Amino acid sequence: MRTPPFPLKERTISWNSLRLAYRQGVLIPLFSSVVAGSLIVTPVVIVIVRSFTTARLGSSVGFSFDNYLRVLHDPKILPMLQNSVVYAGGSALFGTLVGAILAWIVARTNTPGKALVELMPLYPILMPPVMKNIAWVLLLSPKSGILNNMLQQAFGIDHPVFNAFSMPAMIWVFGLTCVTLGYLFLLPVFLSFDPSLEESAYIAGSKPMRTLLRITFPLAIPAFLSALVLNFLRGLRSFETPVLQGSPGGIDVFVSKVYDSMSVDYNPGLATAYSAVLIALSITALLLYVRTTRFSERYATITGKGYRVKVVDIGRWKYAAFLAVFVYFLIGIAIPFVVLIVTSLIPYYDYDTFMQFPSNIDLGSYHRVMRHPSFVSGLYNSLALSLIIALVTVFSGIVMAFTIYRTKVYGSKVFEFIGTIPLAFPPLVLSLGLIIAVIGSPLYNTLWALGAGLFIAYFPYALRNASGAIVNIHRELDEAAWVHGAKWRHVFFKVTLPLLKPSIAGALFYIFIEAIRNIDVAVLLVAPGMEYGPVTLFEYFRVGQWAEAAAGGVIYLLILIATVSIAKFVFKIKFSL
Amino acid sequence: MSIVKVEGLYKTFADYRALDGIGFEFDHGILSILGPSGCGKTTLLRCIAGLEVPDDGAVWIDGKVQTDIKKGILVPPYSREIGFVFQNYALWPHMTVYNNVAFGLKLRKVRDADVRRRVLAALDLVGLPKLEDRYPSQLSGGQQQRVALARSLAMEPRLILLDEPLSNLDAKLREEMRVELKKLIKKVGISAIYVTHDQEEAFVISDYVIVMERGKILQYATPDEIYNWPAHQFVASFIGRSVLVEGQVVQAAGDEIKVSVPEFNRAVLACRRPNGLAAGAACQLVIRTGEVKLSSRPFEQSENVLQGVMTSRDYRGGLTDHRVQIGSREIVVTSHKLCPMISVEGEGDKVFLYVDKDAISVIANSAVSAQGADH
Repeated sequence: MRTPPFPLKERTISWNSLRLAYRQGVLIPLFSSVVAGSLIVTPVVIVIVRSFTTARLGSSVGFSFDNYLRVLHDPKILPMLQNSVVYAGGSALFGTLVGAILAWIVARTNTPGKALVELMPLYPILMPPVMKNIAWVLLLSPKSGILNNMLQQAFGIDHPVFNAFSMPAMIWVFGLTCVTLGYLFLLPVFLSFDPSLEESAYIAGSKPMRTLLRITFPLAIPAFLSALVLNFLRGLRSFETPVLQGSPGGIDVFVSKVYDSMSVDYNPGLATAYSAVLIALSITALLLYVRTTRFSERYATITGKGYRVKVVDIGRWKYAAFLAVFVYFLIGIAIPFVVLIVTSLIPYYDYDTFMQFPSNIDLGSYHRVMRHPSFVSGLYNSLALSLIIALVTVFSGIVMAFTIYRTKVYGSKVFEFIGTIPLAFPPLVLSLGLIIAVIGSPLYNTLWALGAGLFIAYFPYALRNASGAIVNIHRELDEAAWVHGAKWRHVFFKVTLPLLKPSIAGALFYIFIEAIRNIDVAVLLVAPGMEYGPVTLFEYFRVGQWAEAAAGGVIYLLILIATVSIAKFVFKIKFSL
Repeated sequence: MSIVKVEGLYKTFADYRALDGIGFEFDHGILSILGPSGCGKTTLLRCIAGLEVPDDGAVWIDGKVQTDIKKGILVPPYSREIGFVFQNYALWPHMTVYNNVAFGLKLRKVRDADVRRRVLAALDLVGLPKLEDRYPSQLSGGQQQRVALARSLAMEPRLILLDEPLSNLDAKLREEMRVELKKLIKKVGISAIYVTHDQEEAFVISDYVIVMERGKILQYATPDEIYNWPAHQFVASFIGRSVLVEGQVVQAAGDEIKVSVPEFNRAVLACRRPNGLAAGAACQLVIRTGEVKLSSRPFEQSENVLQGVMTSRDYRGGLTDHRVQIGSREIVVTSHKLCPMISVEGEGDKVFLYVDKDAISVIANSAVSAQGADH
């Protein structure tokens, strides 16, 4: 017998292997992934290079560590570090847990009013973060806050109970934003759950509650961890809450410091150096995240065998479950929405004026907002751009996930890394990188730059979503198409894509909703004449035009609710499935 | 011309060698690849289909080269024009039965009317008429299996590959299906390669059997030859109910040898002589216990009769398993006839066993012969 031609674990790249790759039909998805990948890498490289320069925007650059030295000598660096971790970790845990519970209730229990229950956790998604901040500041502000004043009048408490500008309030408000991701990540897991896994536990003598704790929830752990770590990252990068609630209360985190060095000092070098610390923190969390997804590959629950989702009878608890969903609906959107509507309909905000409603209805705020050119053009831009970006991002994400997990191309795992890079960078800093990249080019001051920024910022979500779903589709389903005469594009369009439809709908919805209310990418990329709606609202709030901010926010909310309802009832898009 | 030819296939996953120099040629009919799990049989099938790219080697289907790593040739699976039935069926859950079966035909731009005719014919062939509008999740396991088969047959391939297609069905259905599957493949007149770990299934279904272990082919022959003349001790122990004992040739004359078996109190058994086995050589005997005759009284023959003690009996309906202790070895003899048991159960009965020459296969073992010289 002759010796084997290849020793273990050795691979070579040669013309032969390229020819083999071509014959496997992987070059087109590979090429698309390279294009998307380089778009992502460009601003990242610029940011890193920029952090080692002293120059200001537009002037010459020179290599130096000055920015880093300045950051390291800041005595507030340690409290900032602590604030960032407590704020991001607290919100992520609170939000993901609530989202997971809601997903389980919706997917697997026999709650009454199923149609309503399916919808209720989705509506709070519509609330732009900045509107949540405005509403909760109105409710919890120490002096003029509605709740504090109510408690004072009802019980005679002379000091404010709540403080909108404190860490718990920050965690509360951002945690509510984190619920969305937890819900959207876990819902498909619970919906695609192979019932025989639970049934075999029942057979083994496990009661429903025990089965839930020992089988159902543990199988959802990979998705839960993914959502948790992603929420933590979002917390580290989040912009509105630290700037609108943290800074006034003297609670500094890295993002607000980055924003200050840009908006006050206009010093991009310093801003990128601050974010370097933040990036180190994020990368740690990211590595953790990569581990959790690798972990989830062992948890593939969708096979080629047909499966049916089973609803669990939870007895009388079903009313409690309904109540839980309803309470989340109230806190997540109904109460803030009412506060915003009332505020938008009164001449100006203070507690007494607020309480006189409805005797003092006044449409002045709406008139002013709708006559304000920067709001009107911003509204239009945000609608058009978000729709395009959602489609482009989700489709690219699927192509890249397909390349990584299905084509087995040599080195395709690199895309997993590239596609995750933006998560380590605050959108604010990415948009800074983009500004530097396009300055002096025809793209400067156009929606293209803003679109690219949004694409980069949301790409990781699209990729993660598609990867998770593709990993869950049994490989044999692709291979069956392959041997029965399907080329890669047929496999992709006729098998992979239709099977991904549930996740695609969810991701499209999610990215559209996120992009249309984006502030942190857009805040540096907008220019006079190139407005973005949410940034305009942000500016209203910062200059104290609370009633105008509320009016603009209500208009946004109504548009979003209408869009989603049309999609749900007219186009029958099932976001939850 | 052979339907499948494979040469020098190697495939390594991380630190596990799935294929270690596989080569064979197969003309026509049904070929089973038999082996324990992890022996590389599925990897071999996937390399033939083009789903897996081997590290080295070449594959021809119907005389046309499909894979040749050295020359950089790799025909993608969609151009190999073969059928493939997956272990988990791999029916697309978002398509109806009709669309599952029609999938490949539509891709080949077959006219709609022809697609319809061929899909319905294929479903009819596998015994599933009138179910074309159902979704896979609305079918039973057996029905899903048939749809998967119809999907491949509708393409009218010259070769169909089946990867443990019956392993997810219950026993009774499995037995029915394997007979039906064989009839079906013969009726359509195509060749098939059938991967299984169940030797009975392999024997029932196939014209030829390849026995694999650890990425290597141990034997490639007809079921009959493999059963009666296993070429390797692994094959012998993997096939059917048999007992493997060490022995030493004490006498060799003509085409017969006499072998002494230490485990059976050094009893001597006469066996057919394999090529080149001389007296003094060590060997292994494979005794097919189904062919051993058992009696409570002495046999007329004096040669090849063993004495033992029957310790228990298990009636299996039609067949009975008798546990017999011979020397230091307990063997299970299965026979249609119930051997009477007289004394108290547990203490055992003295019994006689007649082992015909034809019930013994001899495996020459050079490794054993070196040690055997000491005796």
